[in-house]
Amino acid sequence: MWSTSKIHNGLRRTLIVISWIPVAMTVNEHICYVAKIEGSSMRPTLNPNETIPSDWVLLWKWGVQDAMNLRYNDVILFKAPYNPTKVYCKRIKGVQFDSVSTNYPYPREIVQIPRNHVWVEGDNTFHSIDSNTFGPISTGLVLGKVAMVLWPPSRWGSQIDQSGGRGDIRVRDMRF
Amino acid sequence: MPGESGFRLFFRASSFALRSFCFIHIIHSHVYEFTETRGESMLPTLAATSDYVHALKRYSNGRDCKIGDCIIAAKPTDPHQRVCKRITGMPGDLILVDPSMGSNVSQTDEDYDDHFNSFIKVPKGHVWVTGDNLSQSLDSRTYNSLPMGLIKGKIVAANDLNEPFWGGKYGSLWGFRKINNIYIDER
Repeated sequence: MWSTSKIHNGLRRTLIVISWIPVAMTVNEHICYVAKIEGSSMRPTLNPNETIPSDWVLLWKWGVQDAMNLRYNDVILFKAPYNPTKVYCKRIKGVQFDSVSTNYPYPREIVQIPRNHVWVEGDNTFHSIDSNTFGPISTGLVLGKVAMVLWPPSRWGSQIDQSGGRGDIRVRDMRF
Repeated sequence: MPGESGFRLFFRASSFALRSFCFIHIIHSHVYEFTETRGESMLPTLAATSDYVHALKRYSNGRDCKIGDCIIAAKPTDPHQRVCKRITGMPGDLILVDPSMGSNVSQTDEDYDDHFNSFIKVPKGHVWVTGDNLSQSLDSRTYNSLPMGLIKGKIVAANDLNEPFWGGKYGSLWGFRKINNIYIDER
């Protein structure tokens, strides 16, 4: 008899654990998530050199598709416009209605960012495929905002909100 | 349960509610969604009011989407808003943007030619979308190609809940009809 009740108990516990999986998925999709950063385009802010393993970051996801919550200098992860299965990590260099001065290969010198779009660039300007290639991106593609570096421990407390790359590229003088 | 305190009961009820809500949400965002559509842009395929659509989420991010498919996507200029459009151009296609803007009555010859000569090549990872009702639709002609990352699903069928339970205009359950790919390859 004891074995039947044990099986029954085990089954019950498994079902309870399974019923919490959708909750965990919802939290991961809408509140926060841990993501691994790959590649060198955000050097020196993230993945500063090749000798230490890749950074793992805490990603804040609540309300990030709202243009009001995306600010200049935030580091964001978003779906690559040219390939929706890829994820890019870049820094916001201009929010909606800002004018920014662009770099090669963007066809125009100064561009005004449309409503609910952001201009993104990597901190490592020369090894980065960014808005200079694909233009401003819709905030609907944004997956999350980098809140802090979680791993490796040597990178704890590293500053991610310090402006990198080309500096402030916003154009305030509208007479162009 | 007898002997259970009010607090415990409340805790159990809210835990059950949370799990059910999240389960439905995950099914809605990853497997299947049944939702209302509004607006004139997809007439005559979908009515302007009271039409409900069945969307499969397997096709999100433009996976396996083909020209002629009816899709749900986030609007690029307002991601909280959903739009329902038909794919009319795939990556690499050359699109004549909007020849209807050119009118040889109201415009000079140059403007007229402009609208017949403005072509866009759809970049990779993007699609060209238009509403079925071209004269009442805000689509790729305004906001340019749509990144596939904004595609949320493909519409496979629709119901009109104003129709009777059985019979009616479509001769089916609550005006049920399939939404097909209407692309005709003329080559």
